Amino acid sequence: MTIEQTAPAAAPEEKKGPRRKVELQRYALLVAWIGLLVIFSILMPQTFASTANFTNMLGSQSVLLIISLALLTPLRAGDYDLSAASTLTLSAMTTAVLNVRAEMPIVVAILGGLGVGLLIGFVNGWIVVTFEIDPFIVTLGMGTVAAGLVFGISSSQTITGLSQGWSDAVVNRAILGLPNVFFYALVLCLVLWYVFEFTPLGQRLLFVGQNREMARLNGVNVEAVRWGALTFSGLLAGLAGVMYGATLGGADPTSGSSFLLPAFAACFLGSTAFRIGRFNPWGTLVAVYFLITGITGLQLLGAQNYVQQLFYGGALVLAVVLSKLVRKRQARASAQRSAG
Amino acid sequence: MSDSPRRSTPAPPVLEARGIDKSFAGVHALKQAELVIEPGEVHGLLGANGCGKSTLIKILSGFHPLDAGAVVVNGEDVTDSISATGLRALGLSFVHQDLGLTAAATVLEHFTLRPENGRRLTAISWKDERARLLELLKEYDLGDVDVDAPAGELSPIERAQVAILRALDQGSAPGGAPRLLVLDEPTVFLPRHDVERLKRLIDRLRDRGDAVLLVSHDLDEVLDIADRITVLRDGENVGTVETEGLTRAELVELILGSTLKGSRATLREARTDGREVLAVTGLHGTRVDDVDLTVRSGEVVGLTGLAGSGYDEIADLLYGSREGTCTSLTVDGKTVTGQTPRSMIETGVVLVPSDRKQLGGATELTVLENMSLPLVNKHFRQGRLDWKRLRSVVAGVCASLKVKPQDPDAVFRNLSGGNQQKTIIGKWLEVGPDILLLNEPTQGVDVGARAEIFSLVRRTVDGGAAAICATSDYEQLLEVADRVVVFREGRVYTELTGAHIGKDEIASAVYGY
Repeated sequence: MTIEQTAPAAAPEEKKGPRRKVELQRYALLVAWIGLLVIFSILMPQTFASTANFTNMLGSQSVLLIISLALLTPLRAGDYDLSAASTLTLSAMTTAVLNVRAEMPIVVAILGGLGVGLLIGFVNGWIVVTFEIDPFIVTLGMGTVAAGLVFGISSSQTITGLSQGWSDAVVNRAILGLPNVFFYALVLCLVLWYVFEFTPLGQRLLFVGQNREMARLNGVNVEAVRWGALTFSGLLAGLAGVMYGATLGGADPTSGSSFLLPAFAACFLGSTAFRIGRFNPWGTLVAVYFLITGITGLQLLGAQNYVQQLFYGGALVLAVVLSKLVRKRQARASAQRSAG
Repeated sequence: MSDSPRRSTPAPPVLEARGIDKSFAGVHALKQAELVIEPGEVHGLLGANGCGKSTLIKILSGFHPLDAGAVVVNGEDVTDSISATGLRALGLSFVHQDLGLTAAATVLEHFTLRPENGRRLTAISWKDERARLLELLKEYDLGDVDVDAPAGELSPIERAQVAILRALDQGSAPGGAPRLLVLDEPTVFLPRHDVERLKRLIDRLRDRGDAVLLVSHDLDEVLDIADRITVLRDGENVGTVETEGLTRAELVELILGSTLKGSRATLREARTDGREVLAVTGLHGTRVDDVDLTVRSGEVVGLTGLAGSGYDEIADLLYGSREGTCTSLTVDGKTVTGQTPRSMIETGVVLVPSDRKQLGGATELTVLENMSLPLVNKHFRQGRLDWKRLRSVVAGVCASLKVKPQDPDAVFRNLSGGNQQKTIIGKWLEVGPDILLLNEPTQGVDVGARAEIFSLVRRTVDGGAAAICATSDYEQLLEVADRVVVFREGRVYTELTGAHIGKDEIASAVYGY
């Protein structure tokens, strides 16, 4: 990973003390993840440290990673998208309904699923920007609307029998025994990282998230950026939805909602890694796998299923606390450097 | 100077801080600093940015522990027990620049929030609280403050008065000993004429035998209000002087250790030879009412007036960062309509906002990122932001403007006000503006940085650009403006040029005497 490229190119001397500590903190999550992998592998060399388990852990979380990346863009711009999980479900269901019930070609069904996501994101953005309403509330409401629509179009039923070709395109394990969707998610990380770090748009997103009025005074079209971020979030949630449908071979009206909290947990936990205090794709990626590693390991050790909720919920709260602590320490460190 | 028999003397100093030492990670911020404040005096604390005065205040308010030294309050050694609540119990109260009021809470609610009310289990008697507050307000001649108004709806001066009174109300000295009120940059966001009202409140405290410590950048104000002034330079005491008979020049010399080069205005001939770069007619805003204004290249146009006269709206109206209308606006001969900050930057107009704390930068991001924001499109080549190039551009600007620290990766929040302002102006100069709009550009900026900022503006304008500088600081206009437009009640009242620009001339135009 080349994330450090844009990070402070450490000038010689003077900043060794406090800055080095911060540098170390950037990799804390990565180290913790590797630590978990090592510990569980030693404890359970047969079950945990098997290729099957590793590929399963990496592959099974791809949809979660994509939905987390959907949240990332508005989060970077300072906005929450609470409708993402419902959008995911609605997209999956739309694809299934179009393909299975209406017997449309899978390409049309997929475009329909993506279109629904895009539309929800667009409407979210429109309401937020036009009426100047907190996206927290708008997306909470829109999410519930989307969840209702799911039941409407599916008659509250699970639909199976989605195009096999599409499922193959998503879950086939051509490389390293990992499903294709894992690599789609990886490519998406790469794209987001590049946009965030190396394009003017990325800088605008960042400033809109950090200080909206200042961004406006510096020529940033704040409304367009926020609207765009929410629309993009809807589109990515839609993408996650059509991928999710493929992994299920259909769609069910409820299971998608369980993605919301883990996705937020991953985004916030990820913001404590690599670029501390900033929502970033590589941190999110590591966070997703840190979390599933912990959960899988504990479950293999005999923990009950509810450990998932404990882990995700705890991680979200812990991540927020951590990022606060790290920021405080950072502030103190740099305040001391430039004190006088 | 012996420590022991102080208790026997009739009136010990309200505050006596001696030999205060404080280092941060090897930086010696305070070296044997001393501050002695007598009862019944208004004491100014002055010094350039980074002289250690905010560190000293933070030590007194219990925010930083001290490394060495002693703090004695009303004869009692409190060195070991300094903490925010401890000092409050000893009669010290602090009012910081942001005043610490809650916009949505009413004045009465602010005064009901007292430690003793926090401990009680029975319901608060709003009737008693109201009577108590009205009494208190009357005692300080503030009877016309609406106690049911939310703090956010008060005028700036009322907010300041309420914040001060609340601070006093919360800190009562034991046994009726004199209190000390610490005012940290209280007037930065106050319109000039309101400072007079603040002064009256301070006088009231002095008459009661209480003491006030005034921390400020505004030399005239401190000279006007304070009885004595302690000056710090590089963490050391330069001295404590009486203001009686002290001149501004002497004070500047104390603060800087040398006289400022060229800070005194050399009166310029008004430049009328430049081409017209900006012309607006029929400009309307919240207060601005039908204003026409023309700016020529090579000139700095100063805008001033009383608070509410509208002079402070002009820059934001032109920039499109404030709602308004105009009949016509031309920049460089081209007609501009529906201006937004974005479109104005494109036409070569940039703004340095007055509220630097809120609008100056993204405080958690680095200097590099903050200064790069308007430059990102220019440095987006072959699908990639050229950070290397941006870094060298920013480092170059920081070096030429002597920004401290010279580190593009420093977090913006940790820069002093003056240095932040330099990066903001430097960023815009890199954009290459035709017109520089400045709103109170040196508010909360120390004397040294202020002079540098002025010379920066002058150099830019000499290079063919133009500047509009809105300020309530006449001194500033003397130093920087070729032409001063004085506003009254939303309209242009008069225009002063060349030799007519003097502090008295401006004041008489502003106040209309």
